[in-house]
Amino acid sequence: MGLRPIMNISGYKIIRERNVSIMLWKDNYELGVPVIDAQHKELFRRVESFLQALRSEVSWDEKIPKINGTLEFMKGYVVEHFRDEEEYQKSINYPGYGFHKQIHDGMVNYVQEVSKQYEQSESNERLMQEFGGRLLAWLINHVAAEDQRIADYAKKKGMSGNEG
Amino acid sequence: MKDKLHRALIDATHNVFELMFNISELSDHPIDNFKYDDEVNIAIGIVGDLEGVVIYRFPTSTSLNMVKIMSGMEFEEVDAFVTSAISEIANIISGNVVTALSNDDIKCDILPPVQCEKHGEKEFEIETSRCIGTAIGDICLDVRLNRAS
Repeated sequence: MGLRPIMNISGYKIIRERNVSIMLWKDNYELGVPVIDAQHKELFRRVESFLQALRSEVSWDEKIPKINGTLEFMKGYVVEHFRDEEEYQKSINYPGYGFHKQIHDGMVNYVQEVSKQYEQSESNERLMQEFGGRLLAWLINHVAAEDQRIADYAKKKGMSGNEG
Repeated sequence: MKDKLHRALIDATHNVFELMFNISELSDHPIDNFKYDDEVNIAIGIVGDLEGVVIYRFPTSTSLNMVKIMSGMEFEEVDAFVTSAISEIANIISGNVVTALSNDDIKCDILPPVQCEKHGEKEFEIETSRCIGTAIGDICLDVRLNRAS
């Protein structure tokens, strides 16, 4: 299912939200910057799909095809989302851009390293369960804490996309 | 030093619980009341101006509640997923503590979380154990640190 860009603010895509509830998403994660919130919801959808596959009550062998498919897709989407978010930070001259990019790069490296180990281990379940747990906690903290700083800056500068 | 560290730990735990679990009421009390048969113990090594370890002791019930809130899913036992998620929480709290300490010109780094047993018998210059009560269960923070020579 493709994403549908509907408008641009500072060259940044806004993705139309699909009318699907996201179990992982909580209202207090919303930053009040539409361009960021729309991408975060999409990211949470992807992660939720991955976690549901990971935690489903079937044997590991039965899960592997779904896990591999969603992991591969999510790897690409995480990189794409981080890149878009960094472009947005640059477009508003966010002063914490460098530090935030370091955090993104650290996570991308971790995702790539785990994927490599997973392939080499021929689909080790424990490795993927550990990855899922860390990803869940990392993502929530990143959105609720680190990304909040971008939103605060954008709102302070009147560049959140909510104005007028 | 002990007071600064204690305050930084309590504040960081409070902030993380508020942001990630929407829990703003935390109580800080002595270790005497912290008695659980099953715990997940996560050690975060500290290096720099202070050296040693902070051990986060999460009772099983607290661990499962935390992961349930984050994921919206039910978990019946502490498995690799739960342990990893809880380890990341300890990592996040510790990262915030190190940032707070740097504002007091105490420069430290943290090491990746590892699951551990309770701390050993080795003595440290700074030793504290505090229990933090929350709506989803208690956690205990054991601090074992020396000032770097």
